[in-house]
Amino acid sequence: MRPLAQRQWLPLLFFPALLAAWEALVRAVGQTALVPYPTGVLQALARTIGDGTLVAATASSLLRVLLGFAIGAALGIPLGMLMGRVQRIHRAIGPIIDSLRSVAPIAWIPMALLWLGIRGNAALFIVAYAAFFPFVVSAVQGARLIDRNLVDAARALGARQALMLRSVVLPSALPAILTGARIAMAFAWGSIIAAELAMGIKVNAGGSAAVGLGQLMVNTLYVRRDVNGLVLYMIVIGIISLAIDLAMRRLQRGLTPWRPI
Amino acid sequence: MAGRAEIMPARSRVAIHGLEFLLGLSVVAGLWYLASAAVANKTLVPSPLMVLHAWVDLLRSDLPADVLASLVHLGIGYGLGIAAGLALAMLSMRFGAVEAIVDPLVEVLRPLSAIAWIPLAILMFGVSQRVPVFLIFYAAVFPIFVNTIAGVKQVDRQLVRAAEMLGASRRTIVMHVVIPASLPYVLAGARLSLGVAWMAMVAAELTGADSGLGWRLFWYQEFFAMDKVMAVILTIGVLGYLFDTLLRRLQARITRWSPDSAALDS
Repeated sequence: MRPLAQRQWLPLLFFPALLAAWEALVRAVGQTALVPYPTGVLQALARTIGDGTLVAATASSLLRVLLGFAIGAALGIPLGMLMGRVQRIHRAIGPIIDSLRSVAPIAWIPMALLWLGIRGNAALFIVAYAAFFPFVVSAVQGARLIDRNLVDAARALGARQALMLRSVVLPSALPAILTGARIAMAFAWGSIIAAELAMGIKVNAGGSAAVGLGQLMVNTLYVRRDVNGLVLYMIVIGIISLAIDLAMRRLQRGLTPWRPI
Repeated sequence: MAGRAEIMPARSRVAIHGLEFLLGLSVVAGLWYLASAAVANKTLVPSPLMVLHAWVDLLRSDLPADVLASLVHLGIGYGLGIAAGLALAMLSMRFGAVEAIVDPLVEVLRPLSAIAWIPLAILMFGVSQRVPVFLIFYAAVFPIFVNTIAGVKQVDRQLVRAAEMLGASRRTIVMHVVIPASLPYVLAGARLSLGVAWMAMVAAELTGADSGLGWRLFWYQEFFAMDKVMAVILTIGVLGYLFDTLLRRLQARITRWSPDSAALDS
């Protein structure tokens, strides 16, 4: 069939050709300082791996994402379960939660800077805030999915709180919560970059104070003026997003194998 | 308890729900007030009353212009994003060659959040309105594109075949079968797009623009007017919530007939 063959070959030919044409054009026009080009990005990769900045900044950003994710889960899951089980509480604070959820996490950066300072903890606050709400929303859903009959049956058979939690409540709510965790993680990764960019642009971090990928980008933009470096960091950010999503999907499949994703 | 709630007349149920919300609101405001009293530093934690006061103040001065600037960014970026997403989705479904190019491009770009484009956007456009407009556009394009394609792909083939057999033209099938059947997905995509566009807007205004709500945050921070910063933060939250509610209502109304609309409403 023609369409199928076309579908496989067209991108394979088109994209390398596009990159090669791009490189040739940039070199021909001689704008190598202003416009990014493929081999320049590769050079930037070699340089930033060589002097260790890329790995250090990525590790610093990722560490804060994991911490913020954990904080968001620790606060968001219990609150969401409570809201899901008790309608009254849901009606009382649901709209407030929804409004706070609609505040872009990054909007808190001026307050976070004031409360926690520029040494990275402000970014941690933003990440935790971003991760918190997907956990709340999914835990509300998860708590509602718990089958009353199962709870009653377990209680009739004499299950105590701990057993109830472990063998009825958690397995019922887990699928929804894991979906929330995937969203929370993606959201957290976007927010750390935003927070670091804002901190890098608006605050003079005074040299080496906790540099993540975002600050590195600001430095590359304003100090080094290196377009190829910027494109390299964007590619790194995209690859990490993909890797995070893949890892979360795998986790989901591993922890709730009975449920199709 | 649950049984009594069922037989209660609707009006008093609404009243009780309203009371419950007011109670929740006052508990949260009370906790906030206590926190501000305990810290006793009006820059560090402005009290809810101060923020309310600042908010009323801002309503008479800067806030309307800032909201307007943000809405202009959002309107242009989101409008272009939705139009481009829909157009690309339709072209890819009509022409195999377009799909072969657009599909891998979308898969490569989609994981790259709008935020990551901020430095390059600043470099391309300078610190200006064009940075938030570009970011909002970029953020809005992908959800609507992906959802439109998913929506059209899930259209029941039987319906299309039935229409074909009854002699409907291609145009009639598209207008009366494909578009209505995929509409719930398209609208859900439009809502997803608005959510991410809102976040991208604030981030872009904060870092790369000279107008809008996000930009104002750092403007007030430079004077350490944290009560005003809080007022702007709350404005961002309330506006975002209103927009989402509006789109959700619209979605429910337009696709009331569809069993999908309830499933997609989350």
